[in-house]
Amino acid sequence: MTDFSGLLRALAEAGVEFILVGGAAATAHGSARLTLDVDVVYRRTPENLGRLVASLAAHRPYLRGAPAGLPFRWATDTLQRGLNFTLITALGPIDLLGEIAGGGTYEELVVDTELLRIFGVDCRCLSLDRLIAVKRAAGRPRDLEAVAELEAIAEERKR
Amino acid sequence: MTPDTSFLPDPVIEAFKKDVDRTLIRENLKLSVDDRFRQLMKLQEFAEALRAAGRERSRTS
Repeated sequence: MTDFSGLLRALAEAGVEFILVGGAAATAHGSARLTLDVDVVYRRTPENLGRLVASLAAHRPYLRGAPAGLPFRWATDTLQRGLNFTLITALGPIDLLGEIAGGGTYEELVVDTELLRIFGVDCRCLSLDRLIAVKRAAGRPRDLEAVAELEAIAEERKR
Repeated sequence: MTPDTSFLPDPVIEAFKKDVDRTLIRENLKLSVDDRFRQLMKLQEFAEALRAAGRERSRTS
């Protein structure tokens, strides 16, 4: 089971600048759909990469689905060389995204976030409207049901 | 610049929307954000229990 509390706490307490997106953001907005991982868009400044590495180091991040024993190093230079990382940690799966299809980077998304207190920590979460817009723009067939539910949530909120 | 997030109805999404269980949404919207995540974790546990039962059945049949 994914330790959502542990993952969000680890990031927030290390001062990582991140935005909760994807299924976990949908859950925060009221989605009833099952999601197994935490998707976050992280800010790619050198300082934030350092905080991100420090935040998860104790939780043994590794490339999710990759064979054991690869020379994967959890370090800032690894993050600098890549952009999006699909990881498994001792707290559960987490996707660290430098940018998202249809949405862009942290700087492009942060204007459409809400500060939510989740399990006692403040987390920036992508707004419901922007989450819908991003998923629509990404245009992935597997997202159609999720978009339909998110739009239904928006409609229910307005009732 | 923030993109325009207002959107026109999409007929494909509208078709999917007919199958959305709004009773679940209404119940979820009554919960705190923490409780929504607690409920998600219970759902994960349930899904894992079902998967384990399926694996066990495959192993013994």
